[in-house]
Amino acid sequence: VDRWSRGSSPLHRRDPRAKLAALLVFLVAIATATQGIAILAGALFLLLAAALLWARVPLTGAVARAALVLPFTAAFALVCWLAGDPARGVALLLKSYLSALAVLTVVATTPLPALLQALEFARAPRFLLMVGQFLYRYLFVISEEAQHMAKAAAARGATAGGLTENRHRFRGAAGALAVLFARSYGRAGDIHRAMLARGFSGRLPALDTFRFRTADAIFLTLATLLPVLLRIAAARIA
Amino acid sequence: VARILKSCYFERQVHIPDGFLSTPVWATLDAAAVPAVAAVARRAQRGFDDGRVPLLGVMGAFVFAAQMINFPVGVGTTGHLVGGALLAFTLGPAAASVTMCAILAIQALVFQDGGILALGANIFNMAVCGVLAGYLPFRLWGHGRFRTAAIFGGATLSVLASAVLALGELLLSGVRMPGAALGISLGLFAISAVIEGAITVAVMNALEAIQPGMVRAPARRPWASTAVAVAAVMLAAVGVLFASTAPDGIQKLAEQTGIGTRATALVGTPFSGYQTAFLQSAWMRKASAGLAGLVLVYGACLAIGRVARRRRSA
Repeated sequence: VDRWSRGSSPLHRRDPRAKLAALLVFLVAIATATQGIAILAGALFLLLAAALLWARVPLTGAVARAALVLPFTAAFALVCWLAGDPARGVALLLKSYLSALAVLTVVATTPLPALLQALEFARAPRFLLMVGQFLYRYLFVISEEAQHMAKAAAARGATAGGLTENRHRFRGAAGALAVLFARSYGRAGDIHRAMLARGFSGRLPALDTFRFRTADAIFLTLATLLPVLLRIAAARIA
Repeated sequence: VARILKSCYFERQVHIPDGFLSTPVWATLDAAAVPAVAAVARRAQRGFDDGRVPLLGVMGAFVFAAQMINFPVGVGTTGHLVGGALLAFTLGPAAASVTMCAILAIQALVFQDGGILALGANIFNMAVCGVLAGYLPFRLWGHGRFRTAAIFGGATLSVLASAVLALGELLLSGVRMPGAALGISLGLFAISAVIEGAITVAVMNALEAIQPGMVRAPARRPWASTAVAVAAVMLAAVGVLFASTAPDGIQKLAEQTGIGTRATALVGTPFSGYQTAFLQSAWMRKASAGLAGLVLVYGACLAIGRVARRRRSA
């Protein structure tokens, strides 16, 4: 997703604030749908697919990526189906999948720092947003460290096995996690000192400020009107 | 079916995707989450230097990474740390809450794990109620002899509370569940909560062995936060009782509030006259009532924030 978000299509260049607003309208439109969900879902899927193609994001990759929500939803849909309400199950599947795809479309065309900056424009607490930025920045560093630990443990024969050895493995895993905790804690201190050395003043400087152009206005109008109009049309047909 | 359910419940906490919650439920919870997050962020920021920002960010990354270290549970299955309670014991409840908020937001945005409209619900369940409920036993009994029990109980309670809240919200939204499935999922929640408790105790012990002094002694906090924590626990407990004794009652309730008078029940009451004037179709009413409610709460929060800031600077 990170690689996709660094493209330079017209959709990438739109103001992140406009994209966020459009996303919100899209999500509300689909969340409140009650009739003609199948038709609506088809139309909205085509809309999103067009947007993804326009942004030159690999379509199959994005569609597969959004399917990550499906296992969770499928479990509930199955329960609904067993409870004798198959229509509701299908609706759940379609709604959650399309919502995920819509979020993915926005995230795949906007770098995360820009997205968080746009949220700051909506007066979200800056402290929280900065924590989010650091989280995302160090996510892969710490994860890699954890993976190394897991690999090292596996190399020493720590795979899930019988009950007798499990106690030791449990303790071993706890020890590894504690080491990871302490290392992350220490790393945070190092990062902070490095930031202070570079003149950190309590807020992260933004490299570029947003400009709301005519193209953004056109995009916002279209992107908010289309889902709503489709929604009305689907309800008419059904 | 059991396999899918099991993997869902064991793999992670319940992150509600978009499309599951009915409009009044998500709108109310989003509205409730906004001031809660603001308060928590302010509290976490208070009294600390800006070194707090990288610390919380990196610890959030740690919670993500902790999912990669598997703990053997039973025969052949593995579990992993959820982390809310561990963060509360080491960083303090407000900081843990902020970190969990950031984690949930990143998960929703980047990993499609949990929805955007449902973000308020997820934050309410896990970052606010889960963390506070987990911190409560530690705050009460974290000093003395029952320390280990307090840690275990806190971690168990935090997972259980957030899971039960999520289940309750789903039921309120009219997701139907037969009694058997409800019982099974409650049982699975209980098991994964106990696993979380055991893992947290083991990690805390290991942490104290390698770096004593890392674990905070519970500070004397003002009564307000305790009251909120107690409320969170009570809410969860009521949810359990409610769900276990009367699943049919909930379904009936969901039918009534869920389909017939969804919008007018919770969010739409102040707007009922306004909407019938020029919005005809039912869904338009619902959507506009929901949005108007959100805008109203947002505006109120902004205004309160302004006034508070002015008063502080004056």
